[in-house]
Amino acid sequence: MTDSWTRSLAGHLIDCGVEPAEAQNMAADAAAEAEIAGTAPESLYGPALAYAATLARAARPVDGDPLDRATGRVLLRLDGVSKRYRRRWVLRDVSLTLRGGEVAAVVGANGSGKSTLLSICAGATRATRGVVQRTRRVGFAPQQHGVSAWLTANEHFELFGAVEGMNRSRATTVGTGLARQLGWNPRPRQIADQLSGGTQQKLNVVLSELHRPDLILLDEPYQGFDQESYVDFWDQVYAWRDAGAAVLVVTHLLHDLQRIDHVLELSPVDDA
Amino acid sequence: MRLLIRTVALTSLKELSRRRVALLFVFLLPLAFFVLRIEVHWQALRFLAIGVGWAIATLALFSHVASRRIDSRLAVMGASPSALFLGRQLALVTLGLITAGAYFVVAAVSLDVPRLAAVALLLATTVLIAAPLGALVSMLIPRELEGALALLAIMAMQLLADPASTAARLLPFWSTRELSSYAIEPVGVEVLHSGLLHAAVTLAVAFALAWVVSVLRIRTVKLVEPT
Repeated sequence: MTDSWTRSLAGHLIDCGVEPAEAQNMAADAAAEAEIAGTAPESLYGPALAYAATLARAARPVDGDPLDRATGRVLLRLDGVSKRYRRRWVLRDVSLTLRGGEVAAVVGANGSGKSTLLSICAGATRATRGVVQRTRRVGFAPQQHGVSAWLTANEHFELFGAVEGMNRSRATTVGTGLARQLGWNPRPRQIADQLSGGTQQKLNVVLSELHRPDLILLDEPYQGFDQESYVDFWDQVYAWRDAGAAVLVVTHLLHDLQRIDHVLELSPVDDA
Repeated sequence: MRLLIRTVALTSLKELSRRRVALLFVFLLPLAFFVLRIEVHWQALRFLAIGVGWAIATLALFSHVASRRIDSRLAVMGASPSALFLGRQLALVTLGLITAGAYFVVAAVSLDVPRLAAVALLLATTVLIAAPLGALVSMLIPRELEGALALLAIMAMQLLADPASTAARLLPFWSTRELSSYAIEPVGVEVLHSGLLHAAVTLAVAFALAWVVSVLRIRTVKLVEPT
């Protein structure tokens, strides 16, 4: 049983792009740790396929190439995108190609243009220069003001669902299900203004994925999350990715970066 | 599009109904105007109608300012900016007509009005003009305080301007004054006609401008699919 799980893990690691020798070592280490713990590796780590994906991400260098994994068609393409507000450039020559089944992180200091870039990808802001191509079906969670203070979660689901022609019952069912995946059970009569900051952000995230978009744009969506919610959020991001969606996340938490396919680091533009 | 308009209207009504203090003022403001002038019936009616117009225009201003960010987000998802505008206007007009209906009853009971149907007409036209007027101000001056002060200035001019002057005809609620004259005073049908014509033109201009500016403000950049 242990040997079969270990062989399976090594095979899946190789499928994920890990060198065969390293994959064998990693699988053997995992089996040894399970033996020390006195339990079967499957009980300790779960299915070999899922654990292989986690191990492969952890093994990849931060600045390495995207994981060798099946990806879909291009859903977002930025080529030489720049943005100027009056005389000040806030973005210069940003390029990125994001396919279905990939996650990209936009990182950078305050004022480096992260939110502006996301707004350009959403289509809410026009780039001054460069080419932006994007799939039509997009979900967008802005950093602030993404929800209405006076509406309940169900009313938000109804409103956002109506954009895609979802009736009230379906929108509420889908929204509630997605909220539960983030560890939140919305109360029917509680308006957004009465939710904690972290729970408002969960609502913000759920609204971005309510209509099952091909591309999800998230602007630092986990502000106010506790540790458990933060882990749930990233699990959700990888669930979207595994379902074929492309995800672009603005983040400043560096330890996220080893789990993602592309890192786009922005720096404040020097006009001088 | 019909589902979206209906859903936006219903959720807007729910949002507005939860702002209880604001709603209280919407109802109290025309009443205060009315009670202050109750001794002079034609003035009481005129002030009541202007009060209703001011309250609904201010409510429209706040509603459209508050919804701007979420409407932009909905537009990114593919919502029609026109549907969002029409839905919010539908909610405001509904609330305005309920307010107007309540004050029609108050006026019918308290005032000696020879042409009662004209009172209903003037309150309804005032509400229909106030909702897009508030929306238009919210788009040109997208901050609550500044927008509310702009509406206050418009209403003050409306109350103080000589109705016979040309300048008064350029103000949005000149028709309210004409229709209130027709309701109470022994004037001919030409006053009704001029009031209705002014109301129709003002409504068309305010609605069209607010609609166009609203669409321009929240429309998204057209992006092509990646090749």
